[in-house]
Amino acid sequence: MESSVISWPLIVWLLPIAGAVAIWACGPLLRRFAGPLACAVIGAAFVGTLALWPAVAAQPAGVHVTMFTWAPGITVGLLVDRLSFIWLTIITGVGFLIHVYAIGYMEGDRAEARFFAYLNFFIFAMLTLVMADNFVFLLVGWGLVGLASFWLIGFWIERPIAVEAARKAFVMNVVGDVGIMLAIFALFATFGSLSYADVFAKAAQGPGPVMTLIALGLLAGACAKSAQLPLHTWLPDAMEGPTPVSALIHAATMVTAGVYLVARCWPIYQHAPGAMETVGVIGALTALAGAVLGVVQWDIKRILAYSTMSQIGYMIMGVGVGAYSAGVLHFYTHAFFKACLFLASGVIIHNLAGEQDVRKMGGLAKRMPVAFWSMLAATCAIIGVPLFSGWVSKDAVVYQTLAHGHPVLWLLGVAAAALTAYYMSRMMWVTFAGSFRGDEHGAHAHGHVPAWVMGLPVALLGAGSVVIGWLNWPHEGFAEFLAPIFGGTDVAPAAAWGGEFLSTQIPLFIALIVGAGIAYLQYGTAGALAQAPARLEREAAAQPAFLVKLYYWNELLDALFVTPARALAALCARIIDPKLIDAVLVRDVATDAGVLGLLFRRWQSGLVRTYALTLLCGAAAIIVYIAVVR
Amino acid sequence: MVPVQMSVDPNAYAALSALMFFIGVLGVVLRRNPLITLMSIELMWNAANLSFMAYSRAWLNNAGHIFTFLVITVAAAEAAIGLAIVVILFRPRAQSNVDDAMLLKG
Repeated sequence: MESSVISWPLIVWLLPIAGAVAIWACGPLLRRFAGPLACAVIGAAFVGTLALWPAVAAQPAGVHVTMFTWAPGITVGLLVDRLSFIWLTIITGVGFLIHVYAIGYMEGDRAEARFFAYLNFFIFAMLTLVMADNFVFLLVGWGLVGLASFWLIGFWIERPIAVEAARKAFVMNVVGDVGIMLAIFALFATFGSLSYADVFAKAAQGPGPVMTLIALGLLAGACAKSAQLPLHTWLPDAMEGPTPVSALIHAATMVTAGVYLVARCWPIYQHAPGAMETVGVIGALTALAGAVLGVVQWDIKRILAYSTMSQIGYMIMGVGVGAYSAGVLHFYTHAFFKACLFLASGVIIHNLAGEQDVRKMGGLAKRMPVAFWSMLAATCAIIGVPLFSGWVSKDAVVYQTLAHGHPVLWLLGVAAAALTAYYMSRMMWVTFAGSFRGDEHGAHAHGHVPAWVMGLPVALLGAGSVVIGWLNWPHEGFAEFLAPIFGGTDVAPAAAWGGEFLSTQIPLFIALIVGAGIAYLQYGTAGALAQAPARLEREAAAQPAFLVKLYYWNELLDALFVTPARALAALCARIIDPKLIDAVLVRDVATDAGVLGLLFRRWQSGLVRTYALTLLCGAAAIIVYIAVVR
Repeated sequence: MVPVQMSVDPNAYAALSALMFFIGVLGVVLRRNPLITLMSIELMWNAANLSFMAYSRAWLNNAGHIFTFLVITVAAAEAAIGLAIVVILFRPRAQSNVDDAMLLKG
């Protein structure tokens, strides 16, 4: 449906950037009103998103607004179809809750206004990414979310670790951006257009090898943005940013852009089976690898970061095997429970004056009941306790993986689920059960921001973690809703492998019981809790180095890329710079100019009559040229 | 050919103009008295004016008249500045020679 010039998509899209510009411009004046203003803007965008619902529900093709022609053949517009609508509700809805929470979390920070300007800017960038109707605009959004992520990870610029992490995230994301850009070049060369509608309509005509290359280029972008193997190492480091940022960008929205990309480009992947297989394998391996690393972490935010990586692995696995709507469903529920987990951990960190080590926590259930109950709900969701949202979506992903004929990936998924149950239960018991192991000095004195500002978003997201999966009922509601997008290709016949209950729900439930049970025996029993501090220290010392060092993946990337790059830089500094740039290109040019000057200064006799004679000769030469030569 | 029959052939005007211009050039190049230099420049301006007027008449095009006025204006301005320079050159030693002004020597 073509809609009029002033339209809801445009308003929703532009509101956050208006907020960002206003806060940037008037930051010093706004001071602590910057937060409420930012929230109001995102709240309004959420309302605008909801106002789009009737049009989106009525039009299977979605609402389309053409904005301008960027280059011959490339028009830029906004497209809100059912797939982007799903992302929009999370970006503005969950984004709004996190904005509200951030008012409390960032209270009294040196640069509160700057923080909210960045946060609004991020929402704008993310909306650009999901509302684009062509690949160029998608890449613009893709780059802008990377920029917002860079700013927000390194928000506390006085902390070198944060700045380092921001730079790392940015560089690794640019690797993916280049992949997408190459894919876009190939798309334009093949199809002569970059709008989704044109490309997807002609996808079947594309030559197979080219389609595979395009799909792999897009996959490179998805891997970088969504922290999938082998480009995952930036995500845990990104936890140096403020916790609302971790919740918003590095859990709920930006890191799921890879899932969006693959789901959006499903017609391309349909015609590149090899690339699609790769997507599924990468997702499953990341789901497992992330979960394994989650087991050896002690920093609460890093535990959650690895679980994010692992859960996005599930989503990528889902869209990679062709179960697009199951992957999207898992994104939807994950946004709630993971945002809740991060925000609740933020409440803990805030109240313990910045302590993030779970070994120094313990017994927090009574001190922070809201955080505890919300986190409990979200944990039940992520580990897949029946009826919680994560149970609905993870079952869907794992079952569809099997039903689409990938039993090995199914096995990886079930194994990752057992590990998830283990490390999340471990985190819960270590954090909330037993007695407090930290020192009491850090009781945070609250200022003028009331407690509900942080408590309410956490509680709402906790409630969402319980119920949001029910949207998928009656059975496969998400797949039905998304049928106009995926053409019903993504739901495998229900009877495969003995049905969902036997083939997936029972194994996943067993995995849950085993994982959570081991965690209970290790950390939850009265005996374990009684001797906790010493036990935890002993255990930390006994962790295998291979895991503590994160598979030596950072070292591997350093050895492969960073060290050669530094060596090249050193070479340039020692040889190319002094010998070529400084000597030949700078000093020699200056010397040559000087020599020429010495030669020509003879002409500058200072005698006016000589000059006149020169002029005369020049004029004569021109006249002769005109008369004779032409 | 030119559209208008003139009592004197326009080529004659052109020849006279060229002659005047060449005399001006020789004056600038050969004479050292700055006043003579200025007058020679003036002569060259007027050589140009003569051409403008002659061909303006021959082609019945008034642009030549307008350019003549423009040239006269510029020539007047140039004469004013030139005389001022001559005065400055004259002051220190009560004589003037354009070859004495060599401050622009490289």
